[in-house]
Amino acid sequence: MSAPVPISPDRSAAPLPGPVRPFEFPPVVSSSLPNGIGVRVARMSRFPLVTVSVVLDAAEALLPDSSAGLAVLTGQALEGGSRRLSGPELAEALEGIGTGLAVHTGWDSTTISLTCLAERMEEAVALLAEDLLQPAFPPEEVGRFRNQRLAAIRQRRMDPGSLADDAAAYFFFADHVPYQRPLAGSASSVERMGPAEVQAFARAHYRPKGAGLVVAGDVEVSEVGDLARSYFGDWEGAPEPVNGFESVPRFRERRVLVVDRPGSVQSEIRIGQVGAPRSTPHFFPLQIFNTILGGAFTSRLMLNLREEQGFTYGVRSRFAFRRSAGPFRISTAVATEVTAPAVSHALAEVQGLVEEGPTQREVERARDFIAGVFPLHLETTGQVAARIGELLVYDLPDDFFAFYRDRIRSISPQDVLVAGREMLRPGDMVVVVVGEADAIRGPLEDLGLGPVEVVSPEILP
Amino acid sequence: MVNVPVERHRLSNGLRVTLSRDPATPIVGVNLWYAVGSRNERPGRTGFAHLFEHMMFQGSANVPKNRHFELIESAGGSLNASTWFDRTNYYDTVPSHQLELALWLESDRMGWMIPAMTEEKLRNQQEVVKNERKERYDNQPYGDWDERIQALVFPPSHPYHHSVIGSMEDIGAATLEDVVQFSRTFYIPNNAVLTLVGDFEPEKALGLVERHFGEIPAGAPIPPLPGVLDIPPVIGATVRDEVVDNVPLPRVYMGARVPPFTSDGFQAAQVAATVLGSGKASRLYRSLVREKAIAKDVLAYVFPLEVGASLLLLWVTGYPGEEPERLEQALLEEVEGLAAVDQGELDRAVAMTETHLLREIQRVGERADLLSMFDQIFDDPGRLNSEVERVRGVTRSQVEAFSSEFLGPDNRALLTYVPGGAS
Repeated sequence: MSAPVPISPDRSAAPLPGPVRPFEFPPVVSSSLPNGIGVRVARMSRFPLVTVSVVLDAAEALLPDSSAGLAVLTGQALEGGSRRLSGPELAEALEGIGTGLAVHTGWDSTTISLTCLAERMEEAVALLAEDLLQPAFPPEEVGRFRNQRLAAIRQRRMDPGSLADDAAAYFFFADHVPYQRPLAGSASSVERMGPAEVQAFARAHYRPKGAGLVVAGDVEVSEVGDLARSYFGDWEGAPEPVNGFESVPRFRERRVLVVDRPGSVQSEIRIGQVGAPRSTPHFFPLQIFNTILGGAFTSRLMLNLREEQGFTYGVRSRFAFRRSAGPFRISTAVATEVTAPAVSHALAEVQGLVEEGPTQREVERARDFIAGVFPLHLETTGQVAARIGELLVYDLPDDFFAFYRDRIRSISPQDVLVAGREMLRPGDMVVVVVGEADAIRGPLEDLGLGPVEVVSPEILP
Repeated sequence: MVNVPVERHRLSNGLRVTLSRDPATPIVGVNLWYAVGSRNERPGRTGFAHLFEHMMFQGSANVPKNRHFELIESAGGSLNASTWFDRTNYYDTVPSHQLELALWLESDRMGWMIPAMTEEKLRNQQEVVKNERKERYDNQPYGDWDERIQALVFPPSHPYHHSVIGSMEDIGAATLEDVVQFSRTFYIPNNAVLTLVGDFEPEKALGLVERHFGEIPAGAPIPPLPGVLDIPPVIGATVRDEVVDNVPLPRVYMGARVPPFTSDGFQAAQVAATVLGSGKASRLYRSLVREKAIAKDVLAYVFPLEVGASLLLLWVTGYPGEEPERLEQALLEEVEGLAAVDQGELDRAVAMTETHLLREIQRVGERADLLSMFDQIFDDPGRLNSEVERVRGVTRSQVEAFSSEFLGPDNRALLTYVPGGAS
């Protein structure tokens, strides 16, 4: 090596930030139609684009196990076209104006959305409304969608990461909790579904009362009101009421489960338990908690398992906030031979954070991170429409995002400590590992976390 | 409709700078494209460009290990990097008042990375990258498809013959001296473009760029790429590979050489791929997924590559028990059917391209990345603004000519995955 390039003195310290410039979530204008559909508009005029979403109370969590996956299948089957337009005709009409329908079905809602040039908005909304209000669900198409779903379920089962997610859900939640099963259902529930079931689900749940029409982009608020009345004004009815459920764990004490996947060169590790609902009063402190533990590149888990130990390419933790308590989960993939030490390091990190709480500096950094990246996730019409959709699904006030950063900035280390202790019990966390059982069972037993059970993927729903 | 302002500068050390102001949101996208990728790797060092990208996050003279991520994250920014055949890009999006921080960090590792490199950091990142390879390739159904397709489409003497991730053996063989040499050779201002998009005063921003990057000395001219770059426009035959493996569903991939990104014929290839496989009105979807119902999903994509040829990629995933031969036959029927296209298909392709591009460039980071790409490859960042017009200019006869020249049996790499094998 020759001598390094001389370092000029002013390089040695990070430059100071300039003056902060204000950022505001686009103001949300609310109204509703007599049929009960809520209309939310956010104006964003930087690009001639608009995102239109219809948010429906058509959720997977309201279905019994025997119909698991029906909300997902019904959403997909909208691709089959309307009574007037066949599936291919609908696709051509949408793609001819540069757009397409994206249907997302989750535990708490179904969202049908499209993004198009603002000048094409009315044509696009007309097609979306026609498809949603007068869906055809042709039998041969529904059969194909079912087969696609079944094939996707098979793919999930053979993908180690997805298998680990599904196994973790199963072992975290008790039998009667819908979250214990895969979101899109199982082969046994989906293979029984046909046009009649899909038709009935849409009739019962694709209803305007309590639904939302969200428009974000280069539009006038008045324009949206007219569109809403023209295309959704005649829509009628309310979704069938459904019962909530209490999200409870399958086990009351620590369990270690190995899902055998012979031939694996890595172990997919999931560690966690039942977390918290979206309505938790600890929502903001838990965001900080998770950022510090495994929600950022410089989280405790990443610095330990990746940057110090070199065990993994990546590790993260996450609370899935749903209407009822979703999972809290640490996820990583590590080389087979370091499976046990990786589990041990990850458990030590979560335990340390819950028991001792974060440092003042960690909390400051996490607050700055979350508040700072907030506008980075609100650049597109689609991102803003998705956030507004959350307001509708979780009954949050229209100005929730206007105060989001203030709320984050108000969280103290003590708040984080309290939230972590109240919501998590590291001593009971379930450890699920998908990998080569013969190689990892012994080392996992040696950790002394309790008996290690080896199970076959066949036992999962 | 795409109308992004472009202001170009060049520092005396050769660094090209593009500024594109947009005060809509108080954030700035900072993007650096280095013209180095897996194409520059020597035999025995496959995967090195990517491993080096990891080392770029291990600190520099004034920035200790992990500090780069820590500073950007606590500033409320996001950052990452990626390595590809022809380039390695580094991108940060930060609140606009933290622009200088991002410039300081990026310049420190461009100019003063070497003093911070240690054996320990290299060993750590070799483990991280080996795990990345295991996670994405070795423990993943179909994980090695790109290695196999690249090996079929490009001859062993061509730099696109090997994958970006590289072999386990080569990842493990890298030395600290390799890191030093690679930095000196490729991570120099005259091999990079820097793009800023977002909320800043251009004059002030240029001053900051000068302050942080200006004193980095220019390096020597970039050495020629290894290997034989000049290849025939087509493969010359139908070539095949078959894998019996623990995959859930049968899948057929087709790769073909198509005109390089920089050639006039590239747009016709792009439009052909869109007509074939983008969207639910596309031919492959309509025929294989919807009508024949033999495929669960289809995909068509053209990789924009610079050296010798680009790569057209198609895939068809079949249902359980489907004969791969039948999938292949149905795929090839549609490929051959592109000998005739209609105007409606081209119009849809243009409409979808336009919306797609506008959607992408809503994000300052994406916009900066595209401007960097057009700057680095075409010496013309403003080309972003005419991209849709170029696609609109593609005629039926151009697509038909493309398909007769590039989609015949003399230019097909067919890779089949058949379920079976272990467990």
